[in-house]
Amino acid sequence: MTKLATIRSSASVIDGSKQAASLTLEADVCIIGTGAGGAWTAATLAQAGLSVLLVEEGGYYTHADFTMREKDSEPRLFQEGMARATKDGGIAIMQGKAVGGTTVVNWTTSFRTPEDVVEHWKKRHAVGGFQYAFLFPDYAATEKRLSIAKVSYGAMNANNRTLYDGCTKLGWQVDTLKRNVYACLQTGFCHLGCPVNAKRSMLVTLIPDAIDAGAKLIFRARADRLEHEGGEVKMLHATLLDGEGRTPTGQSLTVKAKRFVVSGGAINSPALLLRSGLDSGGLVGRRTFLHPTVGSAAIYDEKVEPFRGAPQSAASHHFAHRGDDMGFFLEAVPWYPALAATAVPGFGASHAENMTLAAHTALHIAIGIDGFHDDVPGGTVTLRPSGAPLIDYPITPRLWSAFRFAQKRLAELQLASGAKSVMTLHEQPISMTGKVDEAAIDAARWEIGSAPVFTAHQMGGCPMGDDPKTSVVRSEDLRHHTVKNLHVVDGSVFPTSLGVNPQQSIYGLARLMATRLAAAK
Amino acid sequence: MIGSRRSFLKKGLFGGLVLALGGTGLALYPSAQVGAPTGPLFALQPASFQVLVAVASRIVTVAGADPVAIAHGVDEALTRVPPEVQVDFNKLLGLLENALPGLLLDARVQPFTRLSPESRDRVLQGWGASRFEIRRTGYQALRKLCLAAYYSEASSWAPLGYEPPSNLNAGAYDDSKAGTPEWLEAQAKADGP
Repeated sequence: MTKLATIRSSASVIDGSKQAASLTLEADVCIIGTGAGGAWTAATLAQAGLSVLLVEEGGYYTHADFTMREKDSEPRLFQEGMARATKDGGIAIMQGKAVGGTTVVNWTTSFRTPEDVVEHWKKRHAVGGFQYAFLFPDYAATEKRLSIAKVSYGAMNANNRTLYDGCTKLGWQVDTLKRNVYACLQTGFCHLGCPVNAKRSMLVTLIPDAIDAGAKLIFRARADRLEHEGGEVKMLHATLLDGEGRTPTGQSLTVKAKRFVVSGGAINSPALLLRSGLDSGGLVGRRTFLHPTVGSAAIYDEKVEPFRGAPQSAASHHFAHRGDDMGFFLEAVPWYPALAATAVPGFGASHAENMTLAAHTALHIAIGIDGFHDDVPGGTVTLRPSGAPLIDYPITPRLWSAFRFAQKRLAELQLASGAKSVMTLHEQPISMTGKVDEAAIDAARWEIGSAPVFTAHQMGGCPMGDDPKTSVVRSEDLRHHTVKNLHVVDGSVFPTSLGVNPQQSIYGLARLMATRLAAAK
Repeated sequence: MIGSRRSFLKKGLFGGLVLALGGTGLALYPSAQVGAPTGPLFALQPASFQVLVAVASRIVTVAGADPVAIAHGVDEALTRVPPEVQVDFNKLLGLLENALPGLLLDARVQPFTRLSPESRDRVLQGWGASRFEIRRTGYQALRKLCLAAYYSEASSWAPLGYEPPSNLNAGAYDDSKAGTPEWLEAQAKADGP
C-alpha cells in the first residue's frame, strides 16, 4: 500500500499547474471532484477493476501544509477563499475546495441520514430506488474505514460541554457526537486541515485507496463543460490552473471516458451541468439547501477556549421537528482569531474590547432544517457571466421566524449552562444576563446585513427521484434521466436538507451507488 | 399591497440611483491620498485602495495596526472571488467615497478619504444601521474583510489569549507506517468489535 506522504509525488497523481502542454486523458470513468462523493466512488470503482480518473480544481495539500494558521488554510482550502456568499450578501458560505473536498476542513461530525428523512424523500420526492435498510452495510463500512466513533462526555471541550450541560439542565435531548478520527490529538484544528492526519478525511483514506487500486488523479484542473451529443457525454473540457488555483496556465485538459461522474458538491455540480447546457428543464440548481445557521455568544467566568479540543462533540435535535415551523438542531462551533473577529459585531475600540473576552466565550449555533416546508423552498444556483456559480437564497418570513425562536433557545441554554452573559451576533447585539429577553430578541433587526446567517452544509440542486419532471438523476443509481453515461454523486442529489451534518450521508449513498455501478459494469 | 408596491419602487429607484453614482466617479472634491500601496495590487483599483485604507484605519484601531497592510490583505483575499465580485467591491468603495450620494442622503460633501476619523466612524456606523440593504451588506463586507486580514496575522493574537499549539506537523506524527500490517491492526483494534 502506498504511503500517505508519497502519494502526491507518485506517477498516478498529475499536477495540472505544472503541465507545459495541453493534455488529453482517457479512462473508463472520469470523476469530477474528490470530496465525500467522488473519493468513495473512485475507490469503489477502481477496486472493481475499472480505470478511473479523478479531476480536481483544488490543490493537493497534505498535513505538512496544514500550519494551523487561518492565513495559510482558509484562502487555499475553501471555495472563494472562504469569502463566498449568497447574491445579496445575506448568507456566508463555508465549503471546502481541495483534494479531499470539504472533508479536509470539516469538523468531523458524523451522522447516518435520519430514517424519517429518507422516508420523506420516498413519499414526497419519489425516491424509490433504495430502501433505508439498504444503506446499513454502507454506513457500517464507512464507520469502519473512517474510524467513526462516539465521543465520551469527558472528551468534550468546554465549548461543547456547556452546550451539553445547558440542554441537560433544561431537559432537552442532547448527545455526544460521532467523529471520524483515529488517534486524535485534540489539536482543535479540523477546520484548517488536520495537522497530524488524525482526521479520517478522504485525503488520507479513500483517495489513497483509489490510487492503490490504480486510479489516477489530476489536480488544479477546473471542469468547464461536458460535451454531449445524442444523450451521451463524449468528453470533459477543463482548464489547468496555476499552483494557487487563481489563474489559468493557458493549457487545457480533455478527458474521454465511457462514464462521467459529477461530484463537485451542491454548488459546483449544478453549475457544471448548467455550463454544459444540461438544465433538466430548469430543475438544475433549484432547491439548493444550506442549513441556514444563526449563532449566539456566551461569556463565562472560566476560560472556554473553543479553539482547543475537538471542535464539535455534542448536538441537540430537541427542536428538529416543529410541525408547521422550521426545525433546527443545536451544535457548538470553534473560533480562531479571524473567524471570531468577523463574528463579533461592530468595529474600532468596542470591537477590540469584545475580542479580549474571546477566550472566555462559547459559540453555539442553531442550524435550520430547510426543504421540508412549501415556503422554505431553498435557494438557486445560476451562472455569473464568467461561468462561476451565483447562489441566491431568499430568507423567507418562516425562516426569520424560526431564527427568532432559535435565538431565544440558544440564549436559554447558554444561561442555563452558567454563562455570565449572552450576546446575539446582530450588528446591534442584544445582551442578556440572568434571563432571556424575549421582547428584545423579537424587536431586534431581523434582516439581511443586520442579522448574520451562515452555512457550512450545502445540499440539493441536482435532486434524485424517479419522476423526471421533478428530479435530475434516477434514485436507483444516480444516473441522469436523459444522459445515459452521466451520474451525479454528491450532496447535490438530496431532495431536501438532511437535518444532520452531511458527510456520512454522502459517504453511505456514494458507496451504495458505486457498488451498484461496479456490479453493472 | 400599496405598501409593498411603494417600497418596491423606492428600493428600485434608490438602487438604480446609487449604482449609477457609484460608477461615475463624480465628486465635488477630489479624493485624498491616505496611504500608498507597498506592493502590486491584484483586485483593487488604485482609487479603491485609498478608500479601503481609510476604512481599515477605523475598523481596526488597535495600537500598531497598519491600515495599508490590512488593505493589501483584503486585496489578496479578493483574488479568490469571481471577477464579478471584484468589480462590485471596487464599485462599493467608489460609492462610499463618492460625495454626491453622500450629499443626497447624509448631507456630507467631502469624499470619505477627506473625512476626520470621527466622521469616518459616523459614516460607517450609518451604513451599518442603514435602512438600505446595499449599505448594510456593503458595510459588513468591508468590516469582515478588514478584520479577517488583521486578525489572521499572529501579531494580533496576544490580547485574545489565543495561542495555537507549536508546530505539530513537522514530524511529531509519523505517517510512514500508515498502511503497514501493524498500522492496520492497530486501526482495526481502535475500531472496536
